[in-house]
Amino acid sequence: MDPLTLAIPTGRLFADTCALLQRVGWLAAVPTERTLVLPASDGRRVLIAKPADILTYVEQGAADAGIVGKDMLLEQERDVYELVDLGFGSCRGVVALPEAQQERWRQPGTLLRIATKYPRLTARFFERERRPVEIVHLHGSVELAPRVGLADGIVDLVMTGQTLRDNLLAEVAEVFQSSARLVVNRVSLRTKAAVVQPLVEQTKRTATIRAPVTAAPTTRPTAEGDR
Amino acid sequence: MRVRSPLNGRWQQVPAGVRDYAAPEAARHSALAASVRSEFMRWGYAEVRTPPVEYLETIVRGAGAGIQDHLFKIVDTGGELLVLRPEMTVPIARLAATRLLPQTASPLRLSYVADVFRGQNEGRTQLRAFTQAGVELLGEGTLDADAEVIALAATCLRRAGVPDAVVHVGHLGFFDDLLAALPADTQDEIRARLYRKEFAGIEHAIPDPSLAGLLRLLPDLHGDDAVTRATPFATSARSLAALADLETLMARLRDYGLADIVRFDLSIIRDFSYYTGVVFEAYGAGSGYPLAGGGRYDTLLGRFGAECPATGFALGLDRVLSVLPTDGDVSIAVVLVADPSQRSDAIQIATDLRRRGVSVLILGAADDAPITAQRNSYQWVVRMTVDGIVLQDMRTETQRLVDRATLIAVLGTPSGDRVSEWTR
Repeated sequence: MDPLTLAIPTGRLFADTCALLQRVGWLAAVPTERTLVLPASDGRRVLIAKPADILTYVEQGAADAGIVGKDMLLEQERDVYELVDLGFGSCRGVVALPEAQQERWRQPGTLLRIATKYPRLTARFFERERRPVEIVHLHGSVELAPRVGLADGIVDLVMTGQTLRDNLLAEVAEVFQSSARLVVNRVSLRTKAAVVQPLVEQTKRTATIRAPVTAAPTTRPTAEGDR
Repeated sequence: MRVRSPLNGRWQQVPAGVRDYAAPEAARHSALAASVRSEFMRWGYAEVRTPPVEYLETIVRGAGAGIQDHLFKIVDTGGELLVLRPEMTVPIARLAATRLLPQTASPLRLSYVADVFRGQNEGRTQLRAFTQAGVELLGEGTLDADAEVIALAATCLRRAGVPDAVVHVGHLGFFDDLLAALPADTQDEIRARLYRKEFAGIEHAIPDPSLAGLLRLLPDLHGDDAVTRATPFATSARSLAALADLETLMARLRDYGLADIVRFDLSIIRDFSYYTGVVFEAYGAGSGYPLAGGGRYDTLLGRFGAECPATGFALGLDRVLSVLPTDGDVSIAVVLVADPSQRSDAIQIATDLRRRGVSVLILGAADDAPITAQRNSYQWVVRMTVDGIVLQDMRTETQRLVDRATLIAVLGTPSGDRVSEWTR
């Protein structure tokens, strides 16, 4: 049997992903997040990488499959098969402005400086909303930006909303919804079907049964290809 | 030679997504191109060359508006928008429809090896300039034409020595016709998701339970029994015909001796909007991207004023090279070492050998011949000495004294095991 390599993300999705891999019999114990590569059952391998890098591994075929948040799929628009909504890691991407400046959102013509880890998603959202925007691309602690005057507001993930409240920010609009997804390389899907398909079926069965997520913002079909 | 270092500057780099090819990579690139060209010729495909720049309007007319975000654009001196060609099928369709087809009644078989250019999204590591080799068969709407083009693609990959090469063959007619029953906006939604390969939750976008079931199954709809598994979903005449076509096509591909490398695959979604029927992609061990792809595009030439069925494929030369083993590239080539007194003899021998197709490099006695030979994958080192000619085989690390006639006889006779498969 061909060995299968699965890339899983550190951070927010790590614990649930490991729990899933234990349920489907890939991993016997939870590894530490600092491990890079670990062997799983039946000669399979698990790579542990930064959430933003998972799609690079899978698109290029360095990993056959990966587990990644829908937020990364929407932001990076990579050429991979998104096959299963795993149900965990649910959160929303929202625009948030300081509580004292909520009225600025009611004037759609106002140019806003928005700090975010999702520059392309943010640009697409503001374009669709026909609102002018200036994007400040940050890699973490985005909520800090409005406090120090780096930006007027943020686009970021919220789970409970506590971080927003702690930083005196409040949601003004929803940009996208996210949860963990199983993605597969387009060649591995075909040439390693005998090992990929069981993983797809197992994760489908194990994924929490839940209501479908509302359609994510639609982007233009890609015209990129191999010809 | 002295190289000053380190100096910093943009001039030391090339732009993202493009690259240099030095030896021996450049030689492997040309050898593969030559092998593919000669295969195209053996199947009766005549090479065409089109300009690297086209009007933006031409490319958009052929490939659809969606391609605009993925182009290198140039503003011409007159203000016209030009683009570097992103692929060759549209330029060839333009050429054929405007100039070649009006002058001929019979099918056209055209081929190309050409550099193409894409403005890829930032952060992706794919090349923005790369070489494609391919063919277009214009004026034949038959399954025999589809089979010929697929067989040619498979043969090229096989000859190149791609490890574990497989060609997956599908048919857009099967799924298209089932989608056609849906309301227009649902169709658009489903198509957009299919282009993005976004299958998670796709079945919730469809009211029809049978079609939703098919969408759930689609990513796995490949393999020997794919047509059998797809049949229960084929409720219309056209979708049934598409499945029957695939069976016929597969039988034809068996005639070409390709049964072991072709597979059914109804999950293939080609990215360009012009495909209409049979489509295929080729894969090999070691690449996460398809190595080649193509299919039938019966409406494209109509966009340029010549209604004409057509099929073709393009192979990514750089992608194929990346999966080929690099050993065994030893060429029949000689490093000839001679001090100044023997220079004129050396030149005569070199001329004689070159006329027989052997590569010869003449070095002065002071230069380090074995290192030069190794670095350039030359198999032989010949030393002109006062005692006679010493012939050294770098592969076996043996040497012997030979006379001039023997030298010419040994080196000037091509023997099979010294020529790598694709240069033959």
